[in-house]
Amino acid sequence: MPQPVLRMNSISKHFGMTKALSNMSITLEASEVHAIVGENGAGKSTIIKIMTGIHQPTSGKIEVDGKTRKITGPQAAREAGIAAIYQEPMVFPDLDVAENIFISDNSTGVLVHPAEQRKRARALIERIGIKLDPSRIASGLTLAEQQAVEIARALSQDVRVLIMDEPTASLSAHEAEQLRKIAQNLAGQGVAVVYISHRLEEIFEISDRVTVIRDGRHISTKPIAKVTSDGMITEMVGRDFGKYFAKTASTAQDEVILEVRNLTLDGVFEDISFDLHRGEVLCMAGLVGARRTDVALAIFGVIPPTSGSIKFKGQTTKFTNPRTAIEAGIAYVSEDRRKLGLAMPMAIKSNVSMATLDSFLSPLGLLKREKEGKVARHFIDSLNIRTPDVETPVGMLSGGNQQKVMLAKWLNLNPDLFIFDEPTRGIDIGAKAEVHDLIRSIAAKGGAALLISSDLPEVLAMGDRILVMREGHQMSIVKHSEATQETVMMHATGQRQEAI
Amino acid sequence: MLARIPPQTLRILALLFVLLAVLLFFSTQVPNYLNGRLFNRISSSVAIMALIACGQTLVILTRNIDLSIGSVVGFVAFATGSLITNNPDIPPILLATYSILLGACFGVINGVFVAYAGVPSIIVTLGTMALFRSALVEYSDAKSITTNNLPTWLIEFPNTQLFSIGTLQFRAAFVVAILVVIAVHFALTRLRPARKLYAVGSNPEAAEMAGINSKLVIFFAFISAGALAGLAGFMFLARFGTITVVAGLGFELKSVASAVVGGVNIFGGSGSVIGALIGAILIDLIDTSLVRWQLVSEFWREAVLGSLILLSVAADAVLMRRLVKWRVSREKKETKPEVQS
Repeated sequence: MPQPVLRMNSISKHFGMTKALSNMSITLEASEVHAIVGENGAGKSTIIKIMTGIHQPTSGKIEVDGKTRKITGPQAAREAGIAAIYQEPMVFPDLDVAENIFISDNSTGVLVHPAEQRKRARALIERIGIKLDPSRIASGLTLAEQQAVEIARALSQDVRVLIMDEPTASLSAHEAEQLRKIAQNLAGQGVAVVYISHRLEEIFEISDRVTVIRDGRHISTKPIAKVTSDGMITEMVGRDFGKYFAKTASTAQDEVILEVRNLTLDGVFEDISFDLHRGEVLCMAGLVGARRTDVALAIFGVIPPTSGSIKFKGQTTKFTNPRTAIEAGIAYVSEDRRKLGLAMPMAIKSNVSMATLDSFLSPLGLLKREKEGKVARHFIDSLNIRTPDVETPVGMLSGGNQQKVMLAKWLNLNPDLFIFDEPTRGIDIGAKAEVHDLIRSIAAKGGAALLISSDLPEVLAMGDRILVMREGHQMSIVKHSEATQETVMMHATGQRQEAI
Repeated sequence: MLARIPPQTLRILALLFVLLAVLLFFSTQVPNYLNGRLFNRISSSVAIMALIACGQTLVILTRNIDLSIGSVVGFVAFATGSLITNNPDIPPILLATYSILLGACFGVINGVFVAYAGVPSIIVTLGTMALFRSALVEYSDAKSITTNNLPTWLIEFPNTQLFSIGTLQFRAAFVVAILVVIAVHFALTRLRPARKLYAVGSNPEAAEMAGINSKLVIFFAFISAGALAGLAGFMFLARFGTITVVAGLGFELKSVASAVVGGVNIFGGSGSVIGALIGAILIDLIDTSLVRWQLVSEFWREAVLGSLILLSVAADAVLMRRLVKWRVSREKKETKPEVQS
């Protein structure tokens, strides 16, 4: 058996009292796609951060090509041939593609030759197998293109181990497939690819071996042929997860709470019409670029529509800003936690009280801190948020728990209409099931939910009806009983099947 | 064609256009306006600000700011003046080197606090602005340097006419400043270590991930700014001869204004020293011209300048956003990036 490229040897990592990793051992071979799966908070990010030198292990050692090596920082990781790309790519928006690739490459001396640099960039981009003009400024690139730039940067430095952390979470189906091809292509060229993803289908499609981790411990490493989806999920969560895809009965009532007619925003979307009943979950499906979020933002008053009408609770309304929409009883849970959802450095309790601060004020206008704490503790219990206490800054929590804090903020408002925008993106399967339960219980209590999701199994499991959009047009509304992956995808792609 | 020009070049062209418009406007308002004297006056006074704005640009590119730069200019001018007063035989090159190194030392102080102690630059340099100024007051004992005590070569240096085109005289101070700006511009566009200033300012997290030593880069930016302020202090001494404790007061904000008007993004990552130079020229031109404009009272000069800064930055933000959007939509139409599968 050939020498492994990288071996993590009983690595432990403690942050104060928290044990992020205990005795973790992982071996990476050349030319393999090695998937690492586990719930959020299982320790995947810690593994990556240790491999890339951002964190130092508390104990244990790392071997590269059989030799023990201390990876003291990102630069040292690069020198050892280890690079990582993330869900949110790390590019320099002000620099062009070629410079983004070669910015820390000192091999060509101190003088930059723009023309020659672009030529070398073009060669690398071709090796990845995409088309991209090296002179383009990075701020105009799509996420997929930015990731390609990062991969090219890694290739420029003779990468031996390429870590891909949730690389397809924000991509359209078509782009995600391209990326998976790139990963396999690189493995074919001898690179050890570490692939981290919550999309299990993906893992079965491309990986050679799968390592399951849970609570900072190594559970198993097996060739993909010996793994089943159910077995993997059971190992990840440590319990049975049969109910995940089960559809519960609809709780839809007769009363129409939201009536949208011919809603149009010039150049963005056209002629969107649907009813949403109390107790109903209406899913909006479609590929990236279908403009579902724009429709939601128009309903929520962020971008006023050009024409069309919105009736909410029987009254024709025209929200011109989110505040009036919130007062009317609409909540919008953004897909972008970082930017639009949470104040990361602030405590959990402050985030929870943020949207309803008025109800936390004493007659003198002072903040009732105990009430804040009490309400936050209530949600920590009811939503199963994993945190030491209510004072913990939200930024310290894992993605799934951050998502729950964001939901708590809006739940506290007790709105009649919930708009969820990709509420389970990038969170683990356990948290996902909990979010689904929550949405169901909102509907059961007579609330209405508009759920935007790119996750087809989720759409099929959750939607009483499914509104499919494509490039700003409403393609159809499919009843749950008639919906299959194929029908939804056919509409989403406009009858063409290439992007499935 | 517009799509081919890089945004930075477009910015410079727009600035030159505004410069021309201002010249044309005042030539209709002020009698006997467009002549060699205007050029000579502006070029002499801009020589100092160009250097300071250049240094400020280096710092702003990394998402920082240097508010101590005016105090550095004042201190260096005074220290250099007192050195030459006491030792009149020091050769010119050595004296200039002393100024530059002294300025760089102040840069080291700022750089250590910002890059290595992690204190926000606005706080550090607000503190050092006051500290360096007090050091000057203490060091000078509230006395002044006077022209009488300075060697003639120093006094004559800035106004030495190197060459002329018609009635436009190119004097040593201006030529030196232009050469420095061009050198820094070359470094910023072609030298890899200097390109890292853009990388760090553009996305600090990505810079760290790409293995760039951001701390060193920021440290380097502050030292360079200090060195350039030192050279500016030397020029200040040579030009004015008389140095008091208020020398260079207010230069820090004027240098920020020059950079910003010149299209340097205050949030770091983009901009050029050529832009900052033109920004400095534009501000100086308007300042000088307003004095001669009968319609506007002297008291309105600051207001007009302030409006100019707001206007240029707002216009820049709006135009650049539009440009980027327009280009993205064009690029999408032209090339649909696809995998060759």
